[in-house]
Amino acid sequence: MTDIAEQEVIDIGDMDVETFNEFATQQGWSDGMPLFVPTEAKVAKFVETVRGDNRPYSPVPPRQIVPTIQAMAANAVMAGCKPEYFPVVTAAMRSVLEPDFNLHGTLATTHSCAPMVMISGPIRKELNVNCSSNCFGQGWQANATIGRALGLMLLNIAGAKPGEMDRSTQGNPAKFTFCFGENEEENPWTPYHVQRGFKPTDNVVTVMSGEGPHNLNDHGSTTGDGLLTTFAGGMATPGANTVYGKGPSFIIIGPEHAATLKRDGFTIETIREELWQRSRIHISRVSKGNLDTYASTGHEPEGDYLRIGRSPQDLHITVAGGPGKHSAFIPSFGGTMVACTRIQ
Amino acid sequence: MLIVNPTFGLAAAAGPTVALKPINWATDAIALMSNSKPNARELLEGVKAKLGAFRNVDNIEFHAKNSASQAAPKELIQAVAGKYRAALLALGD
Repeated sequence: MTDIAEQEVIDIGDMDVETFNEFATQQGWSDGMPLFVPTEAKVAKFVETVRGDNRPYSPVPPRQIVPTIQAMAANAVMAGCKPEYFPVVTAAMRSVLEPDFNLHGTLATTHSCAPMVMISGPIRKELNVNCSSNCFGQGWQANATIGRALGLMLLNIAGAKPGEMDRSTQGNPAKFTFCFGENEEENPWTPYHVQRGFKPTDNVVTVMSGEGPHNLNDHGSTTGDGLLTTFAGGMATPGANTVYGKGPSFIIIGPEHAATLKRDGFTIETIREELWQRSRIHISRVSKGNLDTYASTGHEPEGDYLRIGRSPQDLHITVAGGPGKHSAFIPSFGGTMVACTRIQ
Repeated sequence: MLIVNPTFGLAAAAGPTVALKPINWATDAIALMSNSKPNARELLEGVKAKLGAFRNVDNIEFHAKNSASQAAPKELIQAVAGKYRAALLALGD
């Protein structure tokens, strides 16, 4: 009998959904949640949505195989995606395959990082992607299943099996799914994908290997300056990889906080600069052992402070969420990049 | 019922084949390569000390990636490949 891994199409005989899920779990294909059955007919509908996009995919580390469209579609089917979500899923896959994203490192690390997927452009409305209240949470099929599809592809195609090639010490609930849309309608500045050089009408997926969102609660500040003090305090975390990994982070500003900052004259650029200056970590908050370790790998303090990135440009800023006085900080794995791909 | 295998992929094109020559562990130059995680250097120093029990260690040298979380740059790999006959890697945390 041919090994299952060598066959693109498998005859599993007559199975109901429950039996298929037992089979899939035995194969190691599951994230622990129920899966839809990736029949040839369902997969074909997904493949049809990306027909004409013939750009090749790079080998996917750590397994180093070249993914087929059919195999990626099978994972999107299993995740519960609708066919029209699939171009977003493949764009996310292209993003994580950017060399500087460092997919191998982000999958094999002991850090808890998960692939954060942010969707920009008109497609958010077409697919009913949640950009507003509870955008990081449950309740929207597009958010839930697009993020899950990427996670399943990294499990099944990349080979990032927990405890084997995925060596995360504790993991992170965002590994099940972590997908949201920009709230462009309540962003008083420039949408993120436009900051990155895309047209407002472009549909873009942005991916970063990040921790889950850290809440930035500020109900008391009535000025933009006050909000930035709170944000910077929440960002200056000695336990994040970025304190020595020196990689990117996202600050996702809630619409009410954004309105206050805009009213007080702040721009994306001035917010970034202020947060860069204020989010330094005083060495009194860092253990001697860690300081010694950081120094031994070239990460010396600047005077009495450590930075949480390499430059202000490591702080990526946009708006998402709904009513309420909350924003979020998402530090990254460190040795990674924020990768954007236009959805075809 | 026919399903599509979610793990399926195509083998990546193989790189050029390099013919390996036998290594003489008693005399050949060896690189001790750290992944830059804490204690990797200490582990490799222990390896060097063990090797020193039965061979000259003047041509056993330490190298390290400049980031624990990223792959070693090609230039470093090429430099190590060009200078040494073997490399011992400290992996993991």
